[in-house]
Amino acid sequence: MLARRASSGDTEAFETLVARYEARVYSLSRRLTGDDGDAEEALQDTFVRVHRKLGSFRGEARFSTWLFRVATNCALMVRRREKRHQAESLEEYLPRFDHDGRHARDVDHGEAARADEVLDRRRLVKEAGRALHRLPRLYRVAFVLRDLEEMPTQQVAKVLRVSEAAVRQRVHRARLMLRGYLSHLVGVEP
Amino acid sequence: MTHATCRQGARLLMDYMEGVLARPMRLAVDRHVAMCRLCRGFVRSYAATPRILRAATRSRMPAQVSRNLRVRLEKELK
Repeated sequence: MLARRASSGDTEAFETLVARYEARVYSLSRRLTGDDGDAEEALQDTFVRVHRKLGSFRGEARFSTWLFRVATNCALMVRRREKRHQAESLEEYLPRFDHDGRHARDVDHGEAARADEVLDRRRLVKEAGRALHRLPRLYRVAFVLRDLEEMPTQQVAKVLRVSEAAVRQRVHRARLMLRGYLSHLVGVEP
Repeated sequence: MTHATCRQGARLLMDYMEGVLARPMRLAVDRHVAMCRLCRGFVRSYAATPRILRAATRSRMPAQVSRNLRVRLEKELK
């Protein structure tokens, strides 16, 4: 096993791990930090920390699960240090219902599905980055791992050390808020 | 027979899509969505949201970032 060889000082094995996972760790870090420089810093911190802690990796979890846990923590640490990302929440974009449990507005709720056709690509990229960072942190992390990095729910649960039900609940809330925000961008109030 | 409202359907969508919803509730959501135009649109946009966000936040790691990583690792791990 590559991780075990790397932990016993096999430099070549560690380099193979870096080559295998660096792009995925960068992608995750970029989405979690929302900044190129922060993502690079988080990427470097992740592999430095992984190398230092390889000895404590007991192989009970998959190596990738452990690696993405370290990467997530590093990305969140970098953002915390920066402290420049205070933004309003997306709560206001949650769907609304009347007292009978029906949608409060008779609008085309499917319009948000066309956001990528309707909006200019550059604007969409900018707004998507902003929207992600307006999500509460717990929801953002779960959404990025599950829906953007496309990890199975079971693995996300292991990365975050929470139940699968908790992952589904966080991802669901994130999707609802982001869906509402996309609706707003295409001119339909959620 | 279990019935679902728009609010309940919206609350259960993630579980529905992940296939973890109990059968009676899943059927109730199916029935409701089949009859509710607003929910059909809602489900469409809910399902499209991850895809749109994924495409809009996709990034490729620059080659320089990879080189910088190796320089840092070489320095730190000597």
